Amino acid sequence: MSVEVEVDENDLAEMVEQVWEAYLDPEGVSPLMQTYDEHQPSEVHSSVSITGSWSGHIVYASSLAAAKRAAAAFLAMELDEVSEEDISDTLGELANIVGGNVKAMLPPGAQLSLPQVVLAPESSARYPNTERISGVYGLWEGEPVSISMWQSSTNTKEEGA
Amino acid sequence: MKILIADDSRVMRQIVVRTLRQAGFGDHDLVEAADGQEAFDKTTAEKPDLVISDWNMPGMTGIEVLRQLRAAGNNVKFGFVTSECTPEMKTAAEASGSAFFIVKPFTAERFDEVFAPILG
Repeated sequence: MSVEVEVDENDLAEMVEQVWEAYLDPEGVSPLMQTYDEHQPSEVHSSVSITGSWSGHIVYASSLAAAKRAAAAFLAMELDEVSEEDISDTLGELANIVGGNVKAMLPPGAQLSLPQVVLAPESSARYPNTERISGVYGLWEGEPVSISMWQSSTNTKEEGA
Repeated sequence: MKILIADDSRVMRQIVVRTLRQAGFGDHDLVEAADGQEAFDKTTAEKPDLVISDWNMPGMTGIEVLRQLRAAGNNVKFGFVTSECTPEMKTAAEASGSAFFIVKPFTAERFDEVFAPILG
């Protein structure tokens, strides 16, 4: 049985706003400025998978500079102190936060995976049999950041929730 | 008081510690655990007064840690800080004796609201 997903771009944008307010821009001075350009480039990305009542992936992608800035904000450190491990952990947590919030809006019976981080462009990723159904694309202090939702075409319910 | 923070994400443990400080609870003794097993072991060994746990962790999830602690007769005050919050998770947490449920992203105000009655 295929499931109509109830999470749209406005929901994603609201989650993104909350993440910026809480961790990336608590002063409210550098929000993510939406570009609506789903083809904007990225250099690093992270994802979580959701399976069950809805199946697919939530992907956070950005430039390396934006990932570094996110890590500095998350860990309260200077940009030049940020290590690759800091970037990797921060990207994983960003995907986890957005993925968890998406999961909370899905019908009961969805499972969230642990995050996967790839220090390579999102375009290098392959999510077989999926299509992008929603996304927020923008610039954060001039650097590309995107959060997108990919739905598996074989979206079936394995068992009653 | 001693507080144990369990999260497999080092970044999130650090954010929880910082937010506790921002909310005025930085003077407590803070201990960290990087997965569910470590959370269980440290809760047993170090006897914290409060456990703040992630839900989704490798090996043993947060709810499994809570259930095992209760099964072992440990009644430590225990709650969740997680990006996931579904009604079924909340029900499962409460049924196992969870004291609170904080959703990521969170603010210092939210921490204050939840922890002030517990930590004083």
